[in-house]
Amino acid sequence: MSDEEIRVGVFVCDCGSNIAAFVNVPEVVEYSKGLKNVVFADEGKWSCSVDALASMQESIKEHNLNRVVIASCTPRTHEPVFKATVKEAGLNPYLLEFVSIREQVSWVHMKEPEAATEKAKDLVKMGVAKAILLEEGEEIRLPVGTDCMIIGGGLAGMTAALNIAEQGFNAYIVEKQPKLGGILNRVSNVSHDHIDMPAADIVKAKTDLIEANPNITAYTSTEIESVNGYIGNYKVVLNSNGETVNLDISTVIVATGMREIEPEGMFQYGNDPRVVTQLQLEERLRNSEFGIRNSESEIKNVVIINCVGSKNEERGCCAIGCPVSVKNALAIKKVNKDINVHILYRDLSMVKDEQIHLQAAKAAGVKFLRFPDDRYPEVTKEDGNLSVSVNDLLLGSEYKLRPDLLVLTVGFTGDETIDAIRGHLKISTNKEGFFQERHIKLGPLDFPADGVALCGCAKNPKTLKETCEEGIGAAMRAAIPMKNGFIEAEGIVADIDLTNCDSCSICWKRCPYGAIKVNENKEPEVIKALCKGCGLCAADCPKECITIVHYSDEQLLAQVEAALEENPEKKILGFVCHWCALGGVDMAGVSRLQYPPNGRLIRVMCSARVPTKLIERAYELGAAGVLVAGCEFPTCHYITGNYACESRIKRAKKRLAKKGYNADNLWLTWCSAADGPKFANVMRDMVKELGLG
Amino acid sequence: MNDSILIIGAGVAGINAALNAASYGKKVYLLDDTPSIGGMMARLDKTFPTNDCSICIEAPQMYEVDNHPNIEILSNTEVRRLKKGDGDFKVRLVQKARFIDEEKCTGCGACMEACPVSIPDEMDGRIFGNRKLVFMPFPQAVPNVAVIDPDCRFGKMRENGACVGGCVVDCSQCRECPIALCVKACQKEGKDAVRLWQSNKNINVDVKSIIVATGIMDDIPAEGLHGYKVCENVITNMEFERLMNAGGPTAGQIIRPSDRKHAHKIAWLQCAGRGLEHGVPYCSKVCCMIAAKQTIITKEHDASVETSIFYNDLKAYGKGMWGFYEKAAEAGIRYVRARPYDVFEDPETKNVFIRYEELETGELRKEEFDLLVLSTGLVPSDRNKRLAKILKIDLDKFGFFKEEDPIMAPLETKVKGIYLCGGATGPIDISESVVQATAASMKAVL
Repeated sequence: MSDEEIRVGVFVCDCGSNIAAFVNVPEVVEYSKGLKNVVFADEGKWSCSVDALASMQESIKEHNLNRVVIASCTPRTHEPVFKATVKEAGLNPYLLEFVSIREQVSWVHMKEPEAATEKAKDLVKMGVAKAILLEEGEEIRLPVGTDCMIIGGGLAGMTAALNIAEQGFNAYIVEKQPKLGGILNRVSNVSHDHIDMPAADIVKAKTDLIEANPNITAYTSTEIESVNGYIGNYKVVLNSNGETVNLDISTVIVATGMREIEPEGMFQYGNDPRVVTQLQLEERLRNSEFGIRNSESEIKNVVIINCVGSKNEERGCCAIGCPVSVKNALAIKKVNKDINVHILYRDLSMVKDEQIHLQAAKAAGVKFLRFPDDRYPEVTKEDGNLSVSVNDLLLGSEYKLRPDLLVLTVGFTGDETIDAIRGHLKISTNKEGFFQERHIKLGPLDFPADGVALCGCAKNPKTLKETCEEGIGAAMRAAIPMKNGFIEAEGIVADIDLTNCDSCSICWKRCPYGAIKVNENKEPEVIKALCKGCGLCAADCPKECITIVHYSDEQLLAQVEAALEENPEKKILGFVCHWCALGGVDMAGVSRLQYPPNGRLIRVMCSARVPTKLIERAYELGAAGVLVAGCEFPTCHYITGNYACESRIKRAKKRLAKKGYNADNLWLTWCSAADGPKFANVMRDMVKELGLG
Repeated sequence: MNDSILIIGAGVAGINAALNAASYGKKVYLLDDTPSIGGMMARLDKTFPTNDCSICIEAPQMYEVDNHPNIEILSNTEVRRLKKGDGDFKVRLVQKARFIDEEKCTGCGACMEACPVSIPDEMDGRIFGNRKLVFMPFPQAVPNVAVIDPDCRFGKMRENGACVGGCVVDCSQCRECPIALCVKACQKEGKDAVRLWQSNKNINVDVKSIIVATGIMDDIPAEGLHGYKVCENVITNMEFERLMNAGGPTAGQIIRPSDRKHAHKIAWLQCAGRGLEHGVPYCSKVCCMIAAKQTIITKEHDASVETSIFYNDLKAYGKGMWGFYEKAAEAGIRYVRARPYDVFEDPETKNVFIRYEELETGELRKEEFDLLVLSTGLVPSDRNKRLAKILKIDLDKFGFFKEEDPIMAPLETKVKGIYLCGGATGPIDISESVVQATAASMKAVL
């Protein structure tokens, strides 16, 4: 490609009158024709219309174009359309550069047609400068087989395994206990809506299905020795009952469950056998041992204290304590309706059908007493008997209860294997001891690394129904690449040239996706199919070994230089991330918010892509100011890119100051995709502060 | 064999079900009865407990749906009839006319600028939101195509100043409307996409399975409940959400309906409408976190605004949510355990007074606020009944779609091949919706 003559075609869209009414489009077209390597430029009334796309394809063929610049609306909505068009014309879609002159120009500088036209010309020039350096790209595929390992044989893991196996894929369950079932093996009954079922029946139903399924292998009494590799290529070593088992695995589902926290030293727990946890009560109910207490007299008074060790500085809401306490209170009443049951609580909110149980419990005579958040009940022993004194918030008076069974509703934490598994799979956990999903809202069953799914109580405590749903969902997440037989990454990926690499480890440690692996010679290697193209590694590499295809340093530099070729002292050079900041820019455009036309924006996929040296170069060239705009915290399409950007900009400011530049002219802003007003204000403020207005 | 999937409802649940099933290789029809996909999430400002910007995270998914070769979006479309065949469903859909040629419209907005009539928007009407008779549902709408209010035709909007006002020709005879300003504007742009006499379109699809993802609605309080619609400065939490949204009708300005002045002292009333005879009988679980979010964001807009939350039980049920509540408390938000008795307004200042019993002390107090936000719950969609009848599946006693066996076969209905996810099943948050959507898509492709 490099030997070939570069022939750029520029297509400038009128967008009806949306662009043409405020930007002198014929002038921009004429200007484009004079730019280096441009052999063709044309105006289109509606470049995205079917006929215009067809004529664009003809022009590409007729003029032998090998680079295309589109100057029109916004890449956020229309890039796929134009990519498909140039592809159909026989051109590699990565040879297309998109310039936004509607959202960034005509809609926001409606009262300044001359300045708008000048800005449009500059943006086209920047686009052409980058286009000249564009290289062919391609989607990268990594083969993925059909073997899935499920870590944890509780309800989530069993459900996931059954769904994986039903598709004809192989499921390998790894369970450290001698039998499947997880925490359900200790639970008495499960209720939802009007259904009440012994937990043992649920485990048996699932276990029977698993045993009957030839696609599932369950390794019980088994622990993981090591896991190496990545999606499609995991090598797993298990220790199964003392024997070593080697597995080649394509995907992994983490379903390690949770355990109850021991309330050691709280409310006489550990001090008196009559003080038990909710799960210990479940075991008694399950084994029909409820009425038997040290073979002494029958239990007559039960007190349940909720929120034990929860909802304080250390831990949050245990999530299931309220419905579980109500369910177990009802179960006790079922054993003997004459037993007095008191539930002492802080907040009691029962969602949808849980309300049914609350009403049933009240009807069965279960007493509810609310204590203040900062005054938990006190439990003492008087003459060998338990005594609970509680302040009733509603009545404002102190009560004494004398239970012969005190049940503590305590919180949960992740399984004790969580740290080991985190190390094996290089995934993260939170401070409460649970695994941390990729995105709390839209990536609830994924980890950042492809091919590793998460489900059940290993993520956070949840009800049985929710656990089943997550098990099924996680099976889907793991199944998609197995069904396709591959995963595919966009052509925007990192590429490492090892010539100057000194194995400093920054790139492989900072990659949010674990896409950079290191070999025995300490040489980093990009697993391209795992790379999302954020460019954090390239910007941070001290030796500048890393290139991001389609967003290389040279390409970005060409844009910077083109932008600042003329009148740099009047211009603000901006780097905006594709996902949020550009969304904010587009929103300002759609809302027709008018702001000064001094900005020249360069799109990067992530604010973490912007290297210090480009900022410095803009200063050298005399830019009035530099703006870097990324996603608002905590949003980042690349998980932590904006954090990396923030710390880099701090360093950049120091460096600029050292070199004698005014570091205050470097602005950093976080802008959501809904916040058009914010972006417009930043431009106004910059123009004012930099004395451009 | 036909193994395509119909997804009814294109909010965050429908979108995620569609993306999963389509990535798995299945053909998906993604249907929504409104003109754009996106659902409730597209209207929110932020999402708890991280304060992620809602549209920032949803819009990329919406564009992905739009560009996915396996997904066909059917906006403005309803299900009319369903016939169960041999292992599949034959479904009759009707695409309601949007009076715009979807192929030709580029969403440029020339028609909207030309339209002389501005009326209160359905969602944001009480908080200054207006729209034209030809409008875009919201800026990031997918498909990015305008829609025309059917009331605009037949001269129904004449008294509002519609451009066809002076025409004496009987509309039903003419069927051209060359004088309409939107038609002219569109022609001037060279598109000619306005089709004022477009009719509804029947569409037949054969599918192997159906996912019901019709979502949930915010409860609109009865008139007079805690002063709603009686006191000018009493709004719902959804209206407040739109008010604080930079992409909303006031561009994020938190101003009062009565005088457009910035509110400096705002109260939230939790569980508004809960437990009443005609109210919501259950805890909707998300409202506590919504209030925490709204107060935190209000404080971020202007730290001097005083914010109080009147509540009974605090629901901080999920991951990161207790920390979020603590963040609100640290930001100086006042939490008061209270039971409200009465809400009334000062006839001159239009300030709102709340009379309440403080639970900790039992004392009766009266307090004055600039603005009162009613944290109302989530209720089943009013269209559930009709759809359940067409699909021959059941609703539960609250009006949500019923799962036959929520424990052993969650998300399944009594009809094999029809699955549920998201708000169709009950009060739910975004991440739980995504989980259910992913699970429902697994069931649908099997």
